[in-house]
Amino acid sequence: MMPDPHAAPAPAEGAGFPPQASAVHADDGGDRLRACQEELAALQKEQALVSYGIAHDLRAPLRAIDGFSAMLEANSGDVLDAAGLDYLARIRAAASRMASLIDGLQALSRASHDQIDLTSVDASLLAEWALAELRDAEPGRAVEVDVQPGIRVRADERQLKLLFDQLLHNAWKFSAGADAVRITVSAERRDDRVVIHVRDQGSGFDPRHAARAFEPFQRVHGPDEGGGHGLGLAIARRIATRLGGSIGVDAVAGEGCTFHVELPAGGAHRT
Amino acid sequence: MSNRPILLVEDNPDDVELTRIAFAEAKIANPLHVVGNGSEALDYLFGRGAQAAHNGEDAPALVLLDLNMPRMDGREVLQAIRAEASTRSLPVVVMTTSAEPFDVEACYALGANSYIRKPVDFDQFMGAVKQVGMYWLVLNHPRSG
Repeated sequence: MMPDPHAAPAPAEGAGFPPQASAVHADDGGDRLRACQEELAALQKEQALVSYGIAHDLRAPLRAIDGFSAMLEANSGDVLDAAGLDYLARIRAAASRMASLIDGLQALSRASHDQIDLTSVDASLLAEWALAELRDAEPGRAVEVDVQPGIRVRADERQLKLLFDQLLHNAWKFSAGADAVRITVSAERRDDRVVIHVRDQGSGFDPRHAARAFEPFQRVHGPDEGGGHGLGLAIARRIATRLGGSIGVDAVAGEGCTFHVELPAGGAHRT
Repeated sequence: MSNRPILLVEDNPDDVELTRIAFAEAKIANPLHVVGNGSEALDYLFGRGAQAAHNGEDAPALVLLDLNMPRMDGREVLQAIRAEASTRSLPVVVMTTSAEPFDVEACYALGANSYIRKPVDFDQFMGAVKQVGMYWLVLNHPRSG
């Protein structure tokens, strides 16, 4: 039986979640189940608070590192030699990488803890939106995108947008070597499920690494090949799972890859 | 442009210095009055405690408020500012590292005029502080009195 996303723990920020009354029986097993659920809720709340603290408290020192490096360069750049300036540039680049890593950890935490509100969602629109943001960030890039219109799934709109952000950013950055970014988003209906395919013609990867690609910090690409914080696909999988779906990938080294996201189908005309 | 001070409520000395630099580079001449926690901010605004001599003549044109501070945090400061008639319409811009939806919601519910997430990148940080200064000190027409 497919997992019911309603039954999945979906605590509001810091609020924990109530034990599922239907699953609790008036016997010892029920009491133990209730105790476990309460413990799980407390742990999830603590984890959300720790993630919040990490994101907040690590950013402040990074701002100081980047800010004072920039001021040093601006005010004392003329007394530094080429090596000194290179060191400053490295410090700033490292701060920027760490900021992106913190953003990734925060997105992963949000994918795990944010409340899920399931409605019939136009996935095509969300994919177009994510692509528009990528275009805005890199307007000089030649891009060919083809998004099949009217893909409807039952999902949480914000979470599904976050999922597309990860997959399309992935497709985008691993097309870096190619003269143009070519990305297609299409879908097919399988009974009461929809399978969405996100295909790129970028660098792809060795299919032997496919299972590892969805683990946090398991990078298939190095930093010189466009590799990022190593959390994007972990975020995508976390969201797909919480929405009652699944995610997989077919990859060919040098020819690109296709991600498959399976989700419950949405109603045809509901908004 | 009036020369009333900007009240910066910030407990992190690095962020204080970076904000000073950003205002200087943006050529915003209003004096920057810095306090390191919420209760000092209220002492300054309400002219009490160590700030008793201060008589409201130099009421700030703008408050830049950090959220997470020891003892009294930014949310409580905001609440106290909005509860007092003399500061009810004082522009308060929350400038913090958090962009958690519940922090944003809470601040607007308590009457913040604006909510800015402090960028890590210095050039973006400079841009943000400059725009805040230009908008609230130059472009925005405050309520008189």
